[in-house]
Amino acid sequence: MGCSSSLPDRRSGRLGGLNNVENSGAPDSKNIRVKLVLLGDSGVGKSCIVLRFVRGQFDPTSKVTVGASFLSQTIALQDSTTVKFEIWDTAGQERYAALAPLYYRGAGVAVIVYDITSPESFNKAQYWVKELQKHGSPDIVMALVGNKADLWTNREVPTQDGIDYAENNGMFFIETSAKTADNINQLFEEIAKRLPRPSSS
Amino acid sequence: METAMASSSSSTPSLSFYDFLDRMRNPASLDLVRSIKSFIVSFSFYSPNPENDGKKVQDFFFTMEAAIKDHPLWSGATIEDIDCAMEGLEKYVMTKLFSRTFASSPEDLKFDREISVKIQLLQTFLRPEHLDIPAVLQNEASWLLAVKELQKINAFKAPREKLLCIMNCCRVINNLLLNASMSENHVLAGADDFLPVLIYVTIKANPPQLHSNLKFVQLYRRQEKLVSEAAYYFTNLVSAKSFIVDLNSKSLSIEEIDFEESMQAARLANKVTQVEPSHQLDIGPSARIHNNQTNLSGNFDYPYMLAEAGELMVGDVERLLSLYKDVVTKYSSLCRAVRHLSTSKGGPAVPHSGGHLEGPHVLVAGSADTSPDLDESSGE
Repeated sequence: MGCSSSLPDRRSGRLGGLNNVENSGAPDSKNIRVKLVLLGDSGVGKSCIVLRFVRGQFDPTSKVTVGASFLSQTIALQDSTTVKFEIWDTAGQERYAALAPLYYRGAGVAVIVYDITSPESFNKAQYWVKELQKHGSPDIVMALVGNKADLWTNREVPTQDGIDYAENNGMFFIETSAKTADNINQLFEEIAKRLPRPSSS
Repeated sequence: METAMASSSSSTPSLSFYDFLDRMRNPASLDLVRSIKSFIVSFSFYSPNPENDGKKVQDFFFTMEAAIKDHPLWSGATIEDIDCAMEGLEKYVMTKLFSRTFASSPEDLKFDREISVKIQLLQTFLRPEHLDIPAVLQNEASWLLAVKELQKINAFKAPREKLLCIMNCCRVINNLLLNASMSENHVLAGADDFLPVLIYVTIKANPPQLHSNLKFVQLYRRQEKLVSEAAYYFTNLVSAKSFIVDLNSKSLSIEEIDFEESMQAARLANKVTQVEPSHQLDIGPSARIHNNQTNLSGNFDYPYMLAEAGELMVGDVERLLSLYKDVVTKYSSLCRAVRHLSTSKGGPAVPHSGGHLEGPHVLVAGSADTSPDLDESSGE
């Protein structure tokens, strides 16, 4: 079930070494910095998705000395905008559910992850969507992610269920596999495109 | 092990702090010094009001940053230079305003005490399994490093340095998780692993004035610095605190009855240690003879343990009586605790009470920050 098996991929037009572009400078319309919070049951692979996304461009021989719970990554879009994601992982165990508001406060993006082999985790995902609709910031961009798509032989949550739920709630939907890296970059690129742009006036 | 990297990173900042002071002593910065001084003085005109005070300080930092950027002394300065100056300013101002802004309300002090007492109780029985920390991650010896970082928090007055203690603690934990993932082949599980360990470490550390420290950093750390990674780890400690405050049997993997009984036993044991012998009494001459060979029970002195009846003086009666009363009080409290424990089937071993690590934590009052004064000989 790990996320460390295959080699990182180097496709996609992401920029390397740009993590400190804006340092503490004021955000402008070309360089966006956004807080992204990850929600979902423990064991659905939240942090695997992020590690795959962030390490994808690292030299596999370099030792990453960062923690796996906070990571940041900058990507470049076609229109030469860069988006720096500051990714906040949350503990998915039930006993920490009440702490989530501390983490999603001020987040511009929420990525809600479930495991396609676990209907329970899909229910939990819906719980998080409702909670964010009630208590999150009103213009938060939400993405629903069905992870572990490589385990399709054990699938218990039909793709259509995910699509329908996301559509009814105005969310972006995608199925990913952190293990094979399928759709991982697409997930973040799609989110980046959906971010509200600061007006350049 | 790579865990030693979270060392004291305070050498460079303090260097730049003296750099800041030097610049402020330059006659050319007299206008800045005046603004700083009048800001600090203006604080004493009003009674403390944390939310308001936080905003006032942040606004002041903001104005000063603009003033420094425009100042001839900093002409041609890089972003880093300005940042250094601002770190110096934060440290200077907050050290001066410390007693006024830190734990300034009785409610804060009360909250601090309540949290600390609750943690003391939890320390007597809480184990990593209660938080479902996987066995491969359990590493009490190395966690001590993280504990130590957190316990340093009251040794500093500047918000930046307090925040650094939190960051260092979190870095140690992260390194340990990373090591485990490499050596034990444990898949890195991000916050699912990190938060439980941080909560456990926080309980082990029982950091002094946890609530007040968090509030102080939140209000007075320069806002542009409490972002990104720093904000994330800070939020995790806030979240650990909040978890501990609301903690009950349902928060842990433990039977409700076991939880209640362990808490109760810890409370009773706590009472035992609170009834301390009155050391203030004048120690009689005969007692002094034996004073150096006592300490049978660790903390407490029972100086007459080896005394012979013939050596006792009339003057010893008062102290003997007081010790006698003390022993009886403790004994009966202990009996109650033991009786309580034996009613629970199998019950845990008698809880050893008091400080888990080094006894009650001594609050180091800003040893690292003796607040230097800005020399005003140049002006007025």
